[in-house]
Order: sequence, then structure tokens, then C-alpha cells
Amino acid sequence: MEIVKTENLVKIYQDNGVPVEALKMINLSVSKGEYVVIAGPSGSGKTTLLNLLGALDKPTKGKIYFEGEDITLKEKSDLAKIRLHKLGFIFQAYNLIPVLSAIENIEFSMMLLGIPEKERKEKALSLMDELGIKELADKRPNEMSGGQQQRVAVTRAIVNNPSLVLADEPTANLDSVTAGHLLDLMERMNAEKNITFIFSSHDRQVIDRAKRLIILKDGLIES
Amino acid sequence: MLLKLAWRNIWRNKRRSLLTLAAVVFASLMAIAMRGIQLGTFALNIKTVVELFSGYMQIQENGYHDNPSLNKSFIVDQSMISSLQNTKGILGFAPRLYADGLISYKNESRGTAIFAIDPDKESLVTNFMQNVDRGKFFTSDSSHEVVLGSQLLENLKAKIGDNVIILAQGFDGTLGNQKYKIVGTVKLGVQGMEAATVFMGIKSAQSLLGMGNRVNAIAIKVHNINQLKKVKKSLIQVIHDPNLSVLLWNNVNPGLQQMLEFSSVRGIIFLGILFVIVAFGILNTVLMSVTERFREFGVVLSIGMPQIKLTYLVYIETLLLTLFGLLLGNLLGFVLNSYIVDHPIMFGGEMKKMYESYHFLPQAQSSTDFKIFLYVSLAIILISLFACIYPAHKVYKLEPLKGIRHT
Ligand SMILES: Nc1ncnc2c1ncn2[C@@H]1O[C@H](COP(=O)(O)OP(=O)(O)O)[C@@H](O)[C@H]1O
Ligand SMILES: [Mg+2]
Repeated sequence: MEIVKTENLVKIYQDNGVPVEALKMINLSVSKGEYVVIAGPSGSGKTTLLNLLGALDKPTKGKIYFEGEDITLKEKSDLAKIRLHKLGFIFQAYNLIPVLSAIENIEFSMMLLGIPEKERKEKALSLMDELGIKELADKRPNEMSGGQQQRVAVTRAIVNNPSLVLADEPTANLDSVTAGHLLDLMERMNAEKNITFIFSSHDRQVIDRAKRLIILKDGLIES
Repeated sequence: MLLKLAWRNIWRNKRRSLLTLAAVVFASLMAIAMRGIQLGTFALNIKTVVELFSGYMQIQENGYHDNPSLNKSFIVDQSMISSLQNTKGILGFAPRLYADGLISYKNESRGTAIFAIDPDKESLVTNFMQNVDRGKFFTSDSSHEVVLGSQLLENLKAKIGDNVIILAQGFDGTLGNQKYKIVGTVKLGVQGMEAATVFMGIKSAQSLLGMGNRVNAIAIKVHNINQLKKVKKSLIQVIHDPNLSVLLWNNVNPGLQQMLEFSSVRGIIFLGILFVIVAFGILNTVLMSVTERFREFGVVLSIGMPQIKLTYLVYIETLLLTLFGLLLGNLLGFVLNSYIVDHPIMFGGEMKKMYESYHFLPQAQSSTDFKIFLYVSLAIILISLFACIYPAHKVYKLEPLKGIRHT
């Protein structure tokens, strides 16, 4: 089943009146259960593409279909709903909520869905247990290492069973051993839970382990 | 969860939260103290003036107050007396008769305001009789005795025990004159009054003026000044006479009412300015705390948090701080106001003179009236919510990506 599909996608930024063509003509389709890595040098448009796929930004031209539905013309609040219900995000800089503990960060997106507290706690704990980070439950982000924070972020991204998880250079701030563990984790979730992952990276290790590799260059898919 | 988040965010930047808190505590304490002193002193002033002279309420013939005349008088009959006695909330009542006249002693004569009272009843309503500085006050059954304003005695160059002649135009237009013995003088605070007033028994005055049983007014004292309107209402019902009206102290002393209202308005304007300053202070700190967290907000918006919930967070954080500050401010304010109630601030010098010229006690009182605390708290809650509008609007307009990129 097709999760997300783009049609002649173009994104032009205005940089102080100067148009910057970040994406030139992207045609891409990702199906359920895929594990896709978008690689390419810095400035090639990886972040831009992920933001568009993640309904965080709107394209200048072209269309994006999410689960068959055109999302290019949707309202801000509808896009927020899609993000909440269907998508998971992992950011390069972990971006956990600093005043919440690990488990509360994970509960946060469930809270937004209106899941009752007891159920939230149980689900968060069992998932943390599954991912081997149960002992981090009560730690605040500033008490965790980068790798630990990113594992919590992965847990937060998948806890609502999203159709698609988007991760923008999730290993960029991690050493290669930690990055390897994180990749193990995501691969496991992909295999065990059939969660679809799209992430960007220019990290060799990540690219080598990709099941499907898309190489971006100057806003175009090279291969 | 939103509440938990707000609570922890408050603790995150302790210094800034403390600043907001301090602003709220300061504003509420200041407002409670000022309003307390203002309203407390007003109440004291009213009480002093009203109890000295006018009484809390008066029954008069319609139109007497605007245009006094002996013709606008009425008879206090048994049914009126029992109406007054049976109306709940009335502590005492005293019939009065006022007239203008001329007082002479040997070669000196002066225009005078005749103030005729029944001493037994008057002492239940007002207390000027306690201000006797020479001699004594006449009693209810004495006749042909008068008490003069202190200054009037001196102006006439008379002494206690001397006889004076008082001349006045009576009820039917004829001139009456009678001889009276000066038994005492009273201090009245106001020079003009002290130089012109003569007190006599109501029966003496009725005979001088040919008034029969008629009086111009009945002054009334109530148990509780806050129930004036209620007492007035039930009194009107039982008196049931379309020719008579019931006036409250502020109708009898419109000048006093105006003066107090004027300074009350002045106080409120001052507090308004204070509140505006505090509002901008809060606006500033809220805006800082919000702008600082744009990145974090961007993340939660990306996750799919509805924009509106994020604005709630801004309001809840501020409201929590405000409520906590109000709790402290109210507590401190209550302690301060209670202290002043027990230990009024005494005035000296010019202030003392000014207060005395209005017949006020030369002191500042305070008040612990619940309404002061309520209104101040509501006002500060409103201004802090108001101060959140702009920051909350910025949050509402924040794009998730702008937030994430913001650093
Ligand atoms: N908000 C923006 N405004 C203007 N130009 C931008 C903006 N975001 C990205 N760009 C430009 O678009 C191009 C692609 O950027 P990006 O998608 O961030 O690439 P990558 O993530 O692969 O490094 C770059 O040339 C970058 O400078
Ligand atoms: Mg990038």
C-alpha cells in the first residue's frame, strides 16, 4: 500500500527576495513497511523534502498524496491533525521537552490524542521496556546522553503507531557506535511492527544499511 | 499534563518567575493597602461627621432639604414614634427643629442658627453634646436654657450663667422673642458653626416659634451603615406618608459625599496607572519566556499539538504565577490592613488641621472589607490575562518550522 507519493514536487524559497530552488522536480512513492534513506550532500534539499512529506511546509508546485489523499491544499489545523495521528518525527537535535521526564515526553503525544493517563503510562512503559530504555523513564533530557535522548525521541515518534516516521539526520549528533544502536532500534521497529521510516542522512553507516536509498543532489533525485 | 508542564516551566527560569511574582505581590499589596486606607478612612470620616451631626438618615418634609422653611415641618405623633421603634436596624432617633434668629447680650447681637433638640434622644443619634467645653448641656426637662457655640459666647462677650434674648420669626410669620440662660458652650470644630449656633430644647423652640408639636427633621442612627438602604426602604413603608421623605447621610451632606467620591476616583486612577505599569511588566516577561521557547514550541507543534493548546499553556503559566502572587499579596495586605485598623495612623500638623476643619478625626484608618480583596484580585487577574494576549497571539501564529529553526 502506498503511504506517501509526490508528483512533480517543487519548492522554491525566497531568501531575501532571491528565489532558491531547493527542490526542482521530485517524483517519489513510498509504500507501507519501507525503510528509506534519503542521502545527499548538505544543501541538496533533504530537510526540505522531509518537511514537505511531514506536512510541516507547503510545496511551491506539485502535489503530495498522503494515504491517497491530497494534502497540499489542506488547512493548517488539518495538517496538525495528520501529523498528530499519522506521523512521527525524529529530529537531529533530539528536541525532547526539557521540563518533562523521558516517560512524560513519550506520553505527551498520547496526551494530545486524549488517551487517559493510566493507559498512557502503561503503553509508554511497555514500549520503553521493549526498546530497552525503561530505566530512563524518570530522567529529564538534561540527565541523559545524546544517544539516550534520541532513543526516547524514537519511542515518542512511534508510540502512537504512526503510518510513517520521518527522521532528519537522526544520527548526525551521535558517535558511530551509538548511531549503530539507534539504527538497530529503528530497523527492529521496521521489521517487527512494520513501521514505515523515511530518513535523511549523509552518514556512511546509515547509507550502507539502507534498504532503499534515494540520492538527492541540487534538488533533484539522482538515483 | 498542560498544568504540569506550566508548573515546571515556571520553575525553569526562577528569576523571571520571581520577577513576575514580585510584580503581582507588589501590585496587589499596594492596591489593597491603598484601597483599604482610602475606604477605611472614608468610612471613619463618614461615621465621624454623621455621628457628630447629621445622623445616618433623616426624615424631613418633602423639599425641606433643598429649601428649608419652618412651613415644611411635621408632627411627630405616637404612630410615627412606634413606626420608628419597630423598624428593624434603627438604633435611635431624635426630633429636631432648625430656625434662623438673632441673639443679643447687652449691646452685642449676632445672627444665629437655632438648633433645637431633645438631649435624651439626641445622645442616641449624635455626639456633639459630648463636646461641651464650658458649663454643661441642658437636660430634656429644662426650659429657657441654651448652649452656645464656644465662639459665639466670646463674640457676645457673655459668660456662662448670663441671660440672652433670642429673636426669631415664627411659624405664622410673627416675631417671637424670649429670654434664655446660657448654661454651657460646645466646641464644634468648624469656626463658622461655632460662631453662630445656639442649641436649645425642642420644647423651648416650639414655643418661641409657635410651632406646637411640629419638627423639621428626625435624625436617625442605624446599627449597621451597610444596611442603610434596607432600613430606609422599610421605614418608608411603615411611615406611609407621601409628604415625608427619608434622606440618607449623603443626601443631607452632599458636599461630603462629593469630596469622598472625588478622592476615591483619584485613588482609582492612581491604581489604574499602577496596574498598567504592572501589565506591561508582565507582558514583557511573558513575551521573553515565550520567545525563548519558540524552538521547543516548534517541536510540539510539529508533533501535532494544536496551536490553541499551546496558547493555553501561555495563559496557564501566567495565571498560576498571578494566583500565587495574589495569594501572597492578599495575605500580606490582610495583615497590613488589620494592623492599621488596630493602630490607626495619627496625623499631625497641616493634615490634622485640614481633617479637623471637615469634622474628621485626624487619622487614617484601613479596612479589611472582603470586597477590597476581591476586586483587587479580579482586577489583577484581568490585567495579567490581558498581558498574555499579545504573547499568546505570537504563539498562535507560530509556524512549527519557524519555531524549530528559531535560534
Ligand atoms: N527557509 C529557507 N529559506 C531560504 N532558503 C532555504 C531555507 N531552507 C533551506 N533553504 C535552502 O534550500 C536548500 C536546501 O536546503 P536543505 O533542505 O536544508 O538541505 P539539506 O537538508 O540537504 O542540507 C539550501 O540551499 C538552503 O540554503
Ligand atoms: Mg538538513
